[in-house]
Amino acid sequence: MAAPLRSGIGVGSRQDTRAVHGTSFQKKSRGKLVSIPGTRPSVQNGQLLVSTGVTSLDYVIGGGLAVGTLLLIEEDKYDSYSRMLLKYFLAEGVVCGHSLFLGSARDPPEEILQELPAPVLDDIGCAAGDEGQAKLCDSEGEDSMKIAWRYQNFPKVQTALAASSRFGHYYDVSKTMDPEMRQASKCNTFFLPDELPLKSEAEPSTMNAGYRALLRSIQNLIHREGFDTAAPQNKSRNILRIGLHSLGSPLWGDDICCKESPSDAVSLTSFLYGFRALLRSSLCVGMVTVPSHLIQNRAIMGRVTKLCDTAIALESFRGSERETNPLYKDYHGLLHVRQTPHLNCLVCEVPDTKDLAFKLKRKQFAIERTWVTQVQDRLPLALRGDPQTPPPTPVRFCFAEKQNTSDHFWLLRAFAQGITPQMSVH
Amino acid sequence: MLLDVIQCVESGRFVIIQDSVQCCGRQLLQSFMCAALKREEVVHVLAFDVAEEDLRVPSDSGCAQRLCFHDGYTDPLGWNDSPPLTVLQFSPGEIHALLSRSEHPKPVTLVIDSLSWVLRHHPPAVVCQCLQELRRGGAVRSIVALLHSDLHQQGIVGSLCHLATAIVTVAPALRGHHTVAKTTRRTRSGRVTQEEECFIIKEDLTVTVQKQTHHPGQRDTEQEEPQADPAAHLTFNLRLSEAEKEAKDKLSLPFVFSQEKKSALLQPRPGAGQIIYEPDANDDFDQEDPDDDLDV
Repeated sequence: MAAPLRSGIGVGSRQDTRAVHGTSFQKKSRGKLVSIPGTRPSVQNGQLLVSTGVTSLDYVIGGGLAVGTLLLIEEDKYDSYSRMLLKYFLAEGVVCGHSLFLGSARDPPEEILQELPAPVLDDIGCAAGDEGQAKLCDSEGEDSMKIAWRYQNFPKVQTALAASSRFGHYYDVSKTMDPEMRQASKCNTFFLPDELPLKSEAEPSTMNAGYRALLRSIQNLIHREGFDTAAPQNKSRNILRIGLHSLGSPLWGDDICCKESPSDAVSLTSFLYGFRALLRSSLCVGMVTVPSHLIQNRAIMGRVTKLCDTAIALESFRGSERETNPLYKDYHGLLHVRQTPHLNCLVCEVPDTKDLAFKLKRKQFAIERTWVTQVQDRLPLALRGDPQTPPPTPVRFCFAEKQNTSDHFWLLRAFAQGITPQMSVH
Repeated sequence: MLLDVIQCVESGRFVIIQDSVQCCGRQLLQSFMCAALKREEVVHVLAFDVAEEDLRVPSDSGCAQRLCFHDGYTDPLGWNDSPPLTVLQFSPGEIHALLSRSEHPKPVTLVIDSLSWVLRHHPPAVVCQCLQELRRGGAVRSIVALLHSDLHQQGIVGSLCHLATAIVTVAPALRGHHTVAKTTRRTRSGRVTQEEECFIIKEDLTVTVQKQTHHPGQRDTEQEEPQADPAAHLTFNLRLSEAEKEAKDKLSLPFVFSQEKKSALLQPRPGAGQIIYEPDANDDFDQEDPDDDLDV
């Protein structure tokens, strides 16, 4: 997704990863695999993908998150599930060995990092080679098997490749990640109250001070650690995962959530524009959560969505009248896919259904389709029956409408629907 | 849940009482103050809306020592010399200075009456940042604030409530002289609970909950339905008695070896019994080079 100017790269050049190539031409290489753990090439357009941490979300957005793009999550009303998705994203980075960057204005980043869910390990623990042969566990161990005892010393799945190259892992939200595992990965943080005093000198700029400091911090990090594609190619490459919590909320100094005509309407959009430019030219992936339910001006939300590549929205049932609706008792909320990107191709990956609902289970964030959403909501109350039965055949209504100049169209439409109109003149 | 919120002792909480012109929330604010004083906490009150006499709670001498009023009502904009408290002093540094002037070293419960007055004179983003800064610092243990929700735009009320850990909205009940409180409470783990209750405040400012109206969205944790016993209504017997269970456990299966033979067989041998699983079916490597027949 980086360096779009280079084209016509020779067939034999294989020295860097596919993210650097401008074209999507994929040569089937013999033997040498993609060298960055935790990534895989997309089967649709050849982009290098990373997992978001939630395998069902990866499937919905088209296989994964392309390196160099930005995922926007519109928060649910109480920010419980969007925060969970951010934690999954960071936990996936830790497990795959990527570097992390977390920016937050509300909760200290260390607190968020301490709450990362623990991965469900079946083979990661034995990733350090085939040392299973040295493990003569006593047969009174908890996994001693009665019938298949020949296999009890082997891990459940032993992949031919390194264990961390598996794409997408599962996490147990009831446990938090081990501090050792977290410290093994490099994590950089940005906490706004620590970075700048609340009243600072205002340089003339389209962004407010908080966003400017954040963008500068990210830029310095990318340049310092060599994530940008201009860096020399000799050292091994890694991916930087950037997670930004609750951008646009008043704690970042932005008032788009407070007023319908904010004084600083372009601050967030300028930041996103600069941020996406940084992402495009480096081996980074960004995830941003925005409290869109607080943003009063819908035009701003439209601009924000257009400036990000992939956009999803979470709508939690908590506190709304849908919570007691028996149709939704299996789910925690609805997931709307607002936008999917066209990355170097003419078509984009669209999920086959728009009616998606999510449920946060202990070991999985499940996203499933629900067919009842649209249909049952439109039926009048008397006709909404048992959710298990299919919707009844459409009922014919007789209605009286005011006569106006277009009444012949109205008549034609009514007859086409098989409805006998009762006309009345007002 | 209203009583839980009043009596909650965890630090870092931020309670907003939303009222409107139909129903005033000041008495509920006073009952919060009273409950905090009874719990031996130090309470500082920033009074902007009404004079100190209207906000005084009946308390004994011990409680009166722990209650500290800052009068922002007489001269809120500082027109006279040496005002006791102006609204422009609502910033983290100034408030910390105010709190440190009292002699009690314990963390403080800060009561603000009301946030609406402060929002008139400061931008809402600055107010949010200030409140968050106060919560983070160690000097303030919890904040209870009154907000007149019909004085502000939807966005401002929403942004402030987004920061709060508990929101109590008071409204007049449809029948009778009670007031209805709709409480929303959010824990650190992201769990949200809501409840609607009718309550009444007595003379000594204690709150009694009369009855609970319908629960608009309260969901308990998932309750597993009790598994139906499959062996229940059958014409034949599927259950085992104790003796039968013991005999079943003692039964030795065929091809079950003794312990020595097992451990002998379990010795590691190279290349024996490895389970190799190739996870990605899309990763087939085409051995032939498609460009071999090009004429370059």
